[in-house]
Order: sequence, then C-alpha cells, then structure tokens
Amino acid sequence: MNVIGSMADLLDELKTKVVDVLNLQDIAPADIDPDEQLVGGRLGIDSIDVLEMVIMMEKDYGLTIDNKDLGAKVFASLRTMADFIRLRTLEVGG
Amino acid sequence: MNPLRVYITGRGVLSALGKSTAETYDTLATGCSRLGPLTRFTPPHTPPLPVGEIEGLTWDRELPESHHMARLAADQAMTGCSKAPDAVILGVTTGGLSTTEDLLKEECNDPVRYRNHAIGSVAEDLARRYHCKGPVITVSTACSSGACAIALSLAMLRGGNFNRILTGGVDSLCRLTYYGFKSLQLIDPDGARPFSHDRRGMSVAEGAGMILLEASTKMHEGMELLGAGLSCDAHHPTQPHPRGDGAASAMHSALGNAGLQPDDIDYINLHGTGTPDNDRSEAIAIKTVFGEAPPPLSSVKGAMGHPLAAAGAIEAVIATLSIENGLVPGNTGAIVPDPELGLSPVGPPISMPVRTVLSNSFGFGGNNATLIVGQRRECPESTKAPSFPPFVITGWAAVTGAGHTANTLERLRSGQPCTGKLDEKALCEGLPPRDIRRLKRLSQMALALSNGTSTCDNAISPSSIYFGTAWGSLSETADFLEGLFASEEKFSSPTDFIGSVHNAPAGQIALKTHATGPNITVSGGDTSFEQALFSAHWLTRDDKPVLVAGADEGHEKLSPLFDPSVSAGGTLSDGGGAFMLQRGGNASGPLLRLLYFMGDWEEHVSMEKLVDHLGGPDSINQRYEWLLAGIPAVDRNKGQDRLSRFLDRTTFNGRVIDYRLLTGEYGAASAVAAVLAASLVDIADPNHKGALIIGFGKTPAAMEVMPS
Repeated sequence: MNVIGSMADLLDELKTKVVDVLNLQDIAPADIDPDEQLVGGRLGIDSIDVLEMVIMMEKDYGLTIDNKDLGAKVFASLRTMADFIRLRTLEVGG
Repeated sequence: MNPLRVYITGRGVLSALGKSTAETYDTLATGCSRLGPLTRFTPPHTPPLPVGEIEGLTWDRELPESHHMARLAADQAMTGCSKAPDAVILGVTTGGLSTTEDLLKEECNDPVRYRNHAIGSVAEDLARRYHCKGPVITVSTACSSGACAIALSLAMLRGGNFNRILTGGVDSLCRLTYYGFKSLQLIDPDGARPFSHDRRGMSVAEGAGMILLEASTKMHEGMELLGAGLSCDAHHPTQPHPRGDGAASAMHSALGNAGLQPDDIDYINLHGTGTPDNDRSEAIAIKTVFGEAPPPLSSVKGAMGHPLAAAGAIEAVIATLSIENGLVPGNTGAIVPDPELGLSPVGPPISMPVRTVLSNSFGFGGNNATLIVGQRRECPESTKAPSFPPFVITGWAAVTGAGHTANTLERLRSGQPCTGKLDEKALCEGLPPRDIRRLKRLSQMALALSNGTSTCDNAISPSSIYFGTAWGSLSETADFLEGLFASEEKFSSPTDFIGSVHNAPAGQIALKTHATGPNITVSGGDTSFEQALFSAHWLTRDDKPVLVAGADEGHEKLSPLFDPSVSAGGTLSDGGGAFMLQRGGNASGPLLRLLYFMGDWEEHVSMEKLVDHLGGPDSINQRYEWLLAGIPAVDRNKGQDRLSRFLDRTTFNGRVIDYRLLTGEYGAASAVAAVLAASLVDIADPNHKGALIIGFGKTPAAMEVMPS
C-alpha cells in the first residue's frame, strides 16, 4: 500500500494512474483538472473505466468499492477519489 | 409446394437442473433453485459465489469439461437416430478454456496438451462421434451463442440443402467467466433473482443443450422450431440498449419468421439473467412487442444460473418440456418483482396448456437472438423456397505484416511475402484514439478492416456483420489470466474480460458502423473465414450490405501453444481480410461464392469428389485463371500432395499461388487470399477468368471470385 503524502502529491499520482490504467491516449496527466467530472465528461470515461478504477483502488490502495452509489461518489472527480483514499487510510491508520 | 417445416426430433440437456430431460422437468416442476457455492475450482481469497453446477458430473480429465458435457447432451439428442447429421452447428464461448487455464497456471508449454483449447474443437468432436460429413460450424456470440447456432441451423434447413442438423450450445465454468463477470460486478452474491426488486446480478453456470432438427415437407404432431430472429444493439460492448430496441427487434423478427402474432405466444422464456440492466431492458422490449399484458413469462436462470453459450439451447429444450407437459416454469428467486419493470413474471410454476413458446437470449456486444418453439396451430401459406443471388463484392480490405490493403496487395500480387506483424501504430492508423484505447490486437484489426472496406469507392455501411476467427482475442485472454494468476486470483481486468470474448471484434465493428442486423462470429481453425461466408450465405435474405471478415492475431505466447501451424511455420504473423458484400440489388462488382465446405480430407473427401463438385477439369480450366492454394504449415506435406493431385486431375493451366508462404501462418489467412483473388480478378480484363481459392488443410473448402 502506498504511503499517502500531501494532497497535491496524491492528486498527481492519481492523474498519472488514471491516464495509464485507462489508456487515455489523447490526455496528458497534467491536463486533468482535479475537480472536473470524471465519468461522462470531457475525458471520455465510462462505466467500464469505473470498474477498472475500482480494481486500481483495491490493488494500489487496498480500498474496496463494491456498490454503485459509493462508486458514483468516489469517482465523481480526482479530488473525491483522493479524499476517499485519505479518509479511509486515516481511518485504517488511526 | 408444401412449406418446409423444421421439427425437433431429438433433444438432450445437462445443467444444474438435471442430467436429462426428465430430471430437468422434475426440477422445473418444483420451482426450486439449484444454485450453490462454486466447487469446480477454489477461489483462494474470497468465499465461493453461488453458481449453477451439475451435480455428480465426473469425466476423464484428458477431455475438457465442455467436450464431455456436449457428448452427454448430444448422445441424448441422437438417441434413436441411426443416420449421421448433415451438419453440426454449436454455440460455444469457452471451449477447452477451463483445461487451458489449469495448464497455463502450471506453466505447461507442451502444445499437445492444448489440442482441445479451440472453441471449434467441441463441434468437431461431435462431428467425428456421429460421423457427420457435412459442415461443422461453431458460433460464438457470447450468451446468445446457443440460440444463434439454432437460428443458423433453421435457416440452413429451410434453404433445402440439409435434412438433419445437430445443433445446440455448451459452456463449462471457468475462471475467465467467473472472475470476469465478478470484475464487472454482475454477479449476485446471494444468487440470481431475475426481475426481483432487489436483484444484484447473475449466477454463472455450466451446461449443454442439444437438439436434432429435421426438415420435412409433411406436417405432423411433433415439436417444431417455428422461427428465429437475430439482431444487434450496436450500442455498447456489454450493456444492453436502455430501451431494449435490439431485443424487441429480435422478437419481432422471430415472430415474422414464424408467421405468428404476439397473441400466438403462450409463454415467454425470458433471457432474465438477473442483472439490473438486462432485466430492465428486456422488460421494456417485452412491453414494446407484447403491450402491457404479455403472456405468462419467467426466467429459469434463478434456478439454473446462466450457462452462457448453452443457455439458449437449454432453454429451447425447456420450451419443448413446457409444451409437452403444460408447464410454465417458475421465476425462481424473485419473491417481490421489481415494480419499476411493470412486469409480473410467474411466481411458482403453473400448469396450463402451452402450445407456443418464445425464448430470448441476449449477449455481450448487444447480440440478440429469439427462438420460437411450438406446435403449429394451422398450416401457413405455402412459401417459395428462398433464392440466393450471389454476393457481389462492393468493397474489400486486408491487413497483414506488410501493412494495410494497398501495401498488402502490391506485395502479394508481385509474389512477395507479407509475413510478420504490423506494428500497433501502423495497424491503428486512421482510427480515432478514443475508439481504440481499450482495444487490443484482434479488435484493432477488425476496426482497421471495417474502416478499410468503407473507404473504398461508394462507401456504404453494412447492416449485418459476419466475422471468422480461429483463436479469438488472444491478447485479452492472456492478459486477463496473467493478471489473475499474478495476483493469486485476487484481481482481474474487466476491460480484458470484455475484450476476450470471441465476438468482441464483431461487436466493435457493429458499434462503429451502427449495424443492427445479425452479428455472427464463428470459429473453426483454418476455415474460420469460410464459416463466416457460409453463415452470411444462409442468414442473408435481403439485398442490404453485409460485412464478412476473417482475422487472427499472432500472440507470442498463446499462438504457438494453440495453433500447430504457427509453431511449425516460422515468423509469427497475423492479419485478416474483409469484404462488403451485397446480394442482388443494384450492386455491381466481382462475385464471391463459397463453393465447397464440408467434411475432412482424411475421412470423407476424395479429390475426385471435390473436382466433380467444382464442375470437372474442363469447367475449372475455362472458369479460372488463378488457383490460390491454402496449405497450413502443419499439413505441409499432405497439403502439397493434395494440391499436386488436384493439379494432375484438372491439368490446371492457370497460375497457382501457394498463399500461406506469402501471408504467414494464421487461421484467417484464407480471408487475405480471398481479398487477393478479388483484386486479381477486378484489375484483369473484363472478359477475364475468375480465381479459385482452395483450402488443402484439414477441412476442404473452396471459394471463387468471378468477374462481374
């Protein structure tokens, strides 16, 4: 599991991971706004990509997202993903 | 003339519901669920999910489970039939994969042990078992495979050239489908509850359903296969169309095919997997076709689970049991139907007279099939035998190690090799990055081919897609299993699972071209492209354009393990060919015909018979300028000998092209050869002769391209 540093570092890390895991060929990590809509937005991310991100969250951060409602909240934007990771990691760590 | 009727004269079934029709009926009559925790293999990290397993099934492990189940069900269906079937047409999605997974897990590198991997090997095994000398076809359209195979069989029998076809579907439980559907979050941890308000998904299952179909001009009391309808959503790789458009179109088409009205249906056997989206889409489609008060309906998948390719075939058998016994099976698992769906499936099983059953099967790629089984109420109007004007070629494309169509044809025409693999960047040239970001090699190739045919003059969109592939999407299959095993079965990629199904490439073509007609993927070794052309021939009834393609990818690890010609044949190569075809209408161009496709050189076919079938030596010399000979590396000596005998017998004086030496070794090489033939014929003088393409490998096959 990754050690969570600053929010900015985590957001940068997620940008790179999302571009890599989803093979977003026409998007550079730096182009993603942490607050922009992930699914159904400019990036072309859809429900299949969400499932890929579910696996990524479990594999890389040990976090399980097993229902659609939670998924919709977590994958609203990169910032909601980062918030979820930090919150859950603090809970586990705390 | 009496219309040709198609009767179900034999049936066999094997599923969690039972190992015979009698056991299946008994279980259905109780309405009990037979779902239970997975035991076929042991998930190391998570409790086993509920699945539909066949109780007490044991088999010789040398044979994959699918082959074994297919034999058991087919033996039941063939009981009492002393004659060989004229064709074997099966729906299969995983074939020997359950065995392959074990072998890959133990890092076995012996190709001999992978000999039953191919999905086509199940139908080939049955063809040998019942001495079938005719065509052997494997349809692979995900969860509608079994129903699509039966629909193809019906079209063949109605065409009048076949009397008796063994058809159905089979699939075993394996890691790819178990973990694959799990990764898509489509499995209900409490077991499938189709149409229930609290449903959360499906339960994967295993099984086989087989029926023997016989054509007859006489009307008798038997159970008839009355009609079939096929369609494609062309909407999404996995999700059904939200308004159920494709499903409704398949049902309408089946009713039209059977000459029936919605009122004639007594029972609807739902696809009803239990996934929220499938059931919602199917409910809307049912209301579109049947209005607000449809006949009694239920899904048996809450009791049986979803045996994927076998589902449609098993449910065709269940339809006959329903009619025979006056039983509408219960919709097991749903205590409270979902009020949002506005449909009330039956609760427990009910007894009532049933004469006609409509059965739905829908699969990934928006692939829909509907079958109608019943006892004919009255004799329909006499129908004319279908006529089949030849396919006119209106566009073509090829891709090989040498590049796309122009580069490939330039090299092939000058006798230079096109072996090797085109690099990914060149392969995907001209394809929008967003369309291909989730696709791996075979689907990329399919889109490149589809794109190539539409950039020809007079670009048109196809209404139906026929795709032949010997090995399917090897990259996705390998990556999925590698990721799964590397994580000790903890993680698997949903994207790779979606891409791994054999019909993923054809589904991608449909998405891109909005082709909402039949979308058929077939697989059968070195004659996979011929199978696609064969299927297109029997299923195309109008003059709308159809795309017929064949492609195979060369995978560094899996191709040499699966395809003996790859391990024998030098440079790893891949490629494919595609045609835009049109039957009649106002199309003009060279003609493409499948002339011969059946049997096995070793057992059934003599050179004399083939030459006679092609019109005899004089006619062959008059008609053809070119002979494109396909000799797979594994059969190099035998194939060369067959070619020599063909040349001796015909004293053929045209040009002979031993095309596999130019294309390299892959199942769909004959598709590239057919494109080469078309280009040779097209650029020749108008009064020139045609080209003959003959497969001299295991299965004899002959196609011709003739000038317009």
